[in-house]
Formats: sequence, structure tokens, C-alpha cells
Amino acid sequence: MADELVQGFIQAFILIVTFDQEIWEIIFLSIRVSGSATFLATITALPIGSYLGPREFRAKKTISNLINTFMGFPPVVMGLIIFLLLSRSGPLGSAGLLYTTTAMIIAQFFLALPIIIGTTKAAIESVDPALKETVQSLGSTEGQLWWELIKESKKSIIAGIVIAFGQALSEVGAVMIVGGNIRWHTRTFTTAIVLQTRMGEFGMAIALGLVLIIITFILNYTLTHLQTKNE
Amino acid sequence: MNNMKLINLQKISKTFYKEDKVELKVLSDISLSVKKGECFTIIGPNGSGKTTLLRILGLLENPTEGNIYFAGKDITNLSRKETVTFRRKFSFVRQKPLVLNTSVANNIAYGLKVRGLEREEILSKVKEILEFIGLKGLANKNARSLSGGEIQRVAIAMNFVLPSEIYLLDEVSANLDLRNVTLLDDLITKLKQDKEKTIILSTHDPLEAIKYADRIAVLNNGKISQINTPEIIFTSPKDEFTAQFVGFENIFSGLAEIEQETGLSLIKINDLTITSSTQIEGSVKVCIRPESIIISKDPPANVSTRNSFEGKIDQIRDLGNICHLIVACNFEKFLVSITKASLEKLNIKLNSALYINFKATDVKCL
Repeated sequence: MADELVQGFIQAFILIVTFDQEIWEIIFLSIRVSGSATFLATITALPIGSYLGPREFRAKKTISNLINTFMGFPPVVMGLIIFLLLSRSGPLGSAGLLYTTTAMIIAQFFLALPIIIGTTKAAIESVDPALKETVQSLGSTEGQLWWELIKESKKSIIAGIVIAFGQALSEVGAVMIVGGNIRWHTRTFTTAIVLQTRMGEFGMAIALGLVLIIITFILNYTLTHLQTKNE
Repeated sequence: MNNMKLINLQKISKTFYKEDKVELKVLSDISLSVKKGECFTIIGPNGSGKTTLLRILGLLENPTEGNIYFAGKDITNLSRKETVTFRRKFSFVRQKPLVLNTSVANNIAYGLKVRGLEREEILSKVKEILEFIGLKGLANKNARSLSGGEIQRVAIAMNFVLPSEIYLLDEVSANLDLRNVTLLDDLITKLKQDKEKTIILSTHDPLEAIKYADRIAVLNNGKISQINTPEIIFTSPKDEFTAQFVGFENIFSGLAEIEQETGLSLIKINDLTITSSTQIEGSVKVCIRPESIIISKDPPANVSTRNSFEGKIDQIRDLGNICHLIVACNFEKFLVSITKASLEKLNIKLNSALYINFKATDVKCL
């Protein structure tokens, strides 16, 4: 076993430094899928989160609880739901999206959405109401006020976006089910690692794992850097 | 046009609710009007509802009942877009100033930017006010990184740079450091000279009210107990609360000049000349507390008493142990506070002739 591990690392090193085409395809695909999902989730979540944040209404508590629940929604279950919707006999089957990157983006979009809504809502809620009033009294329109509130809470919002992206990137259940792990088409970091490990191809698995860890490290480093800046 | 009611509040009430239960009645039945160009002061202790009233005026809070009129137009329940239009007629300087997380220059420019002014115009206005408040060197620093006093100055500049018609100043001098009090004083004095600008100022400090106010509204526990000129409010308070809160003051307006050989100020108030130890020139308001005035039957033997006037008792108000006398010295009337015992000892009756005496150091100039 120790021998296999050493062999695996050597092989991983070779694959990375020789810019193995398949590894790079997988890296780009993963980043493209998770990046698109996070981007779409962000532009959807910002208005929703900032709408919910400062308002008080009857259903708010229920909605808040719902969002919190969905923030930790199991990716496998999300994969199952999207699979059932997109499968040939499902309600959206005619679109023919199952086992495509689009399906993966949809699944990860719904996983990222509550995380970004939740963090945006919390961030905007925590803005001092007096600051909001100051901006209003300076003559801002609703839209201008909204933009100031986003700017005021941008650190927390960016943190939410980075966390959502990191989760999407390392999530395996949903992309496996709706993407199908098709080589060159829907194979991502995580699904590839699962497959290669099963096949005993440890070199490839370790190489991908290392790259994933490096990306996660960069994301976390950026996040910490952002949060400690200007303090 | 000059005497028209610019702002008119009709029976404004504000109740804060929490889950449909009455939580707090902050204002009830407030009716008042403010004329264009005037400095209207709302005076009252902490928690009397001053801030809420100003927030309602600045369209940051809707009243529970009642209407607000701006130059005759009802602006109580406007659409969001129209609310912004009317809000832009006001500058609102808050009690605790807040700045945006950006540079000093951007903070000051913010109100102008949202109004869609030309870039050049914004830059020149920002530059001008930065020089005035003495923060030119800090223009590009983040406003939040400044000291408390500097943040106050930025917040003042953010509001005074705007082309507003009405300036709402909420207890502004309460938290200011000394240098900023002077700065604000200059700004308010400048605004007062401009008859197009209206000031509505709230304060808990009677002296500040006397200094700036053309008219004062006394706010007690969410209700207005009296609206009148400072002279009337401070000499004849309508109720006990007002009397206790404002304290009694003799207030006169006059013209001051400095006497060369003594360095004291001589203030001409109609046919009286009052001497004050405060060095001041030009038009001033002077205050003398009723308890600083001493009554005597004869002219004072001590020549060092600069302020000694002959007068006649116009009114005697019995307040228990203390009596309030109104002494008429030609055209001016002085309020004098005296104990019942001294009143009897001096045998003071209506129309008796006597002298009022007070020290030059007891004459406060504003």
C-alpha cells in the first residue's frame, strides 16, 4: 500500500507538470460548471437577499428557516430531484438536458442559491439602520440605497459567494447523478476522483485531489485576506 | 412669499407598534408651522420625541396620524419616487454622525452624485467645502478611519454641501467637540442670513435655543406645550414643565461695543445700556438669570456695580417660598426671583419704585 501511495504521488506529479490534457480538461470543466452556477446564483440571490434583509413581514421567520435549511441541503438529494425533473419521463424531460453540463449547472445553482441568499440577507440585516437612514436622507433613490447597502456589506457577501463556489466545486453527489461522469463531457474533479480510485488509478486521483486542495486553499486565502483588509 | 408657511404639520401622531400591541406613543397631536427663512427650534428633554419629529419632517418615518404640508402640498403619503423628490429638499444632520465606507471626498460628493449633478460641479463644490471644514489634506482618506471629531466634520459637510431648502439639525452640538461647535455656529449663522433657507433645530439646551431660534416649540413627552418667541417662552412659560425645563431667563437683543479703557462690552438695549464682562461687538442677545438680579430700595452704595437701573414693580407672582417680580425699567421688563422673606422685608408692593442691580459677569452674551 505504501508503495502504491508513493507511485501514485510520482505519477500525479508527472501528470501535473506535463500538463496532461485530460487533467486540464477536467479542471476547466469543473471550474466552468461551478463558476457558472455560482455566478447565476449570485445575480439571482443578491436582489432576493437584499429584499428580504431589511424588511419585516409575517412570513419572514418561515422564509428565514427555509433558507437556513436549504443552506445545508444534501447535494445527493438535490441531484436526485433535478434528475427526476430532467429525466426523459420527467416534467422537463423533453429539453434533453440530462447528462449535460447544463444539468450540472442547474443542480449546483440550486445548491449555491440559498447559501448566497442567506449570507446576503444576514449581511444586509446587520447594516446599521441609522446608516440606511443617512443614505436616504442624503437623497438616494431606492436603487441607489440598495447599491449602498450591498457595498456596505460586500465583505460578507463576497464571503458567501466564495463559500458557495467552494462547496459547488467539491460537491460530488449532484454532479454525479445529473452529469453522469461522462469522460470529456461531464467529468469533474470529484466524479473523476471517485472513478479513478475505484479503478485503482491512484496517480490521476491524487493529482486531481491535489489541484482541488490547492484551489480550495487559494479561495480560503483570498477570503481571509478580504476579511482582514481595512480593519 | 416670505411669510408663508413652508412647513405645516397637522395633528401629527406617532405610535410604534410591536405585533399589533401599542408599544410606545412617541408623539401626539403635534400641529405647528414653520415659515420660510426662519430658524425654528424644538426644545425638550431627552426622550421627548424631538428626533422622531425631525425624522417625520425629513420623510424618513411616516406619522401614524396627521398630515405634513410642504408649501401647501400634502406630502404625507407620497409614492416612493415623490418621497425622494421631497426628501431632497431637506438636509438632515443627525445627532450621531455616520459616514460611508469610502473616501472623505466621495462621502461629501454622495448627496450631489445621487442628485445627478455634473462631475465638474460636484468636484468644485466638494473642494470648496473641504477647504471650509479644514479637511483638504484628508480628501482621499477613508472617512471611517478618521477621528471622531473629523467624522463629525465630514458628516456636517455631507449635508451642508447639498442645495437644500430646509436644514434639519438634530441635537447637533450635543456630541461635537469645541472646534466643531464653532464651525457649526458659522454655518448656522450663514444659513440664518440667507432668507431662502429654513432651519429646524432640535436641542435640549435652552441657551442654544435662545441663541439661534426665531421661534421655539417646547416638546414635553410627545406633546407641544408652547410655541412662541424665545423672549416670551423664557419670561412667561405657559406651564410648570416649561418653566422648570427652560429655566427663567431675561433675554434682550441689543447692539454691543467694547469700552476702550475697561475692556468691558456696553450693550445698548433701547434706552438702557447694560455692561457685560464678555467681550463682544455687533448685534447680540443677552441673558440675565432672574436669581442674579438683586433688588434694593436705594441706589447701590458700591459704585463698582455697573448695572443698576431704576424701575417700578409691574407684577408680583407668588410661587410659594419664591416670588417672581416683573420690574419695568422704562421700556424693558426684567424678571426677578426673590424669596418671600425678602419681599416682606423690603415691603415691596405693586408700583413701588426700586433699583435692580446685577454684576457684569452675570450678563451672558450669545
